[in-house]
Amino acid sequence: MEGAEVKNIKLITLLLLIWSAGLGESATADESFWVRESAFLLQRGRIEKGIFQPLIYGFSENLEFSTHALAFFVMPNLSIKLSHQNVGNWRFASTHGLIYPTPLLRLISREGTGGIISPEFSIPHLIGISNGVLVSRQFQSELITLKAAIDVGLKMGKLDERTTIDLPLVYPRLNSFYTSCGMKFGLDVRHQFSSKFDILADADWFVFPGSDDGFAWEHKILVAYHSRRNRFSLGYKLVYGEYPFGKAWHLIAPIFDYQRAWGK
Amino acid sequence: MKIILGLFGLLFLAGCEDLVTKFESEEKGFLYKTHHSINPPTSADTLKVMTWNIRFGARRLDWFGDSCGDRVILSDDEVLLGLAGIADKIEELQPDILFIEEIDVDSKRTGYIDQMQWLLDNTYFNYGAYTSMWQAQYVPSDGIGRINTGNAILSRWNITDVKRIQLALRGDQDALTKYFYLRRNMLIAKIAVPNLNNFFGACIHAEAFSTDDTKKKHVEQCLEELTKITNNGGLFILGGDFNLLPPGSDSTDFCDEDGCSDEHFHGKNDDPFHKEGSNYTPEITWLQPMYDNFFCAVPLTEFQSDQLHHFTHTTNHSDGFWNRTLDYLFSNVNFIAGSDSTHQEAIPLSDHCPVTAKWKVPK
Repeated sequence: MEGAEVKNIKLITLLLLIWSAGLGESATADESFWVRESAFLLQRGRIEKGIFQPLIYGFSENLEFSTHALAFFVMPNLSIKLSHQNVGNWRFASTHGLIYPTPLLRLISREGTGGIISPEFSIPHLIGISNGVLVSRQFQSELITLKAAIDVGLKMGKLDERTTIDLPLVYPRLNSFYTSCGMKFGLDVRHQFSSKFDILADADWFVFPGSDDGFAWEHKILVAYHSRRNRFSLGYKLVYGEYPFGKAWHLIAPIFDYQRAWGK
Repeated sequence: MKIILGLFGLLFLAGCEDLVTKFESEEKGFLYKTHHSINPPTSADTLKVMTWNIRFGARRLDWFGDSCGDRVILSDDEVLLGLAGIADKIEELQPDILFIEEIDVDSKRTGYIDQMQWLLDNTYFNYGAYTSMWQAQYVPSDGIGRINTGNAILSRWNITDVKRIQLALRGDQDALTKYFYLRRNMLIAKIAVPNLNNFFGACIHAEAFSTDDTKKKHVEQCLEELTKITNNGGLFILGGDFNLLPPGSDSTDFCDEDGCSDEHFHGKNDDPFHKEGSNYTPEITWLQPMYDNFFCAVPLTEFQSDQLHHFTHTTNHSDGFWNRTLDYLFSNVNFIAGSDSTHQEAIPLSDHCPVTAKWKVPK
């Protein structure tokens, strides 16, 4: 892990230098766009879509829809974000999502190349239900968000534990189907150091009570350049997880996305 | 599928560990030690040695990769049952040194059980050496997933200087398949047999399914390494699965025996004409240099006079008996005449049977 640790430390140092270079400036985040994973909602009528980020639609002042559109045909999914009563300077929102991963899992359960899951096992109908809360506070240049969610995995049949996909990012996101439920906690800090540049640092904890491999931690830093219509982000993701084979670190770098917006 | 594999690759773009471990041409192997030592003999006039391809404890299960079945991921109970049977056989036969092929140490297909450590902790062996022939964080094919499997030596006595020699890769595969495929190796380790200063154990598992001359290259590389040991005054015993028949074998084409119910071979329109890994006809002389340069526990004339008695492998996992010889013990010192045994009664335990022989420790 030494090489990755050194690489990680250098990257974090560079990004902190960039961040601190902007501390002398003050720039306020616009609360109406590029606000995913905070308690702020998109402006009514605005649509945002990334290569990897979901399609998000601001339906009203209090309601936002999102879906991973590219995956929808093999993994139907839909989430809503609802805004709630503010408490002082703190904004509150809740998220509620449904996902049906069965078609995708059956697609990758196959013989030959592309067989991620062994075809000897059958994949029952699975429905994932997620409910969470987001609490955000906007400071002058920082937007801080606290997150918590409960994921429930419903199975309409037997799901053999040997069908797990023991990979970073994937394993904790499917684990609720093997353990029935899981919890996720997160902290996001976004610093706007100019009207065009911001940097996001986050950390998420996944916990699956009662599971032998019931813990994962993910952290990412993303530097983004954005305008009202376009957003380019680049960074890294560091993952620590417990898997059926043991504990492991993974450094995924670079990670990037391009998002485009329509409407308001 | 290319999109899935592409996204897969992104996930590991700059991870801490390569998606597939590629190995240097020569590198160190891994040492193991039992968790409960048993004092080894302080002297040894004779060594009993054994070679066994244990098929990762899968017994006669229809695993997709080497039979006509569709099983991929074993249950823990299945793996432990297989290992228990292997341990019982070891206990019965009492080899001093065991050469193992196809042992898993961190594979999804065998419940991530470290079979090296398990065997050390459940037999009288104290020390082990392991070199991987297939190590990947994830093999995105047939649900194999994470895998680490390879060759091993188990010994009563201390093992040091474990070396992994990379053998030639197959030349008959496309680049993507080759990237995720096995990387066969030869393991060489020094074993502290009492009263021997320069004794080496070697274990090889040559390529099984190549349709080009990959296996021949493996024999040549093996010969080269063993000759080095000999030229430096060392003694060795090699155990291994060469996936080659002894010269003079009566049957050399097993396409019909190995073919699955939906396969047909040897017909005018059949493509491939032969089943991969089942036609040994063009390869029948490739093992001759090993017989010419070293001593085999089963001398060639003995094999040729009673071939059935020395068969060690079959792909028929339902009711078939052994139908070919692929497993060997070689040394640069002769084995005790008549001491060899091919333990064909071990048919429920693997698709290969163990071969033992006795070797008089030179003074």
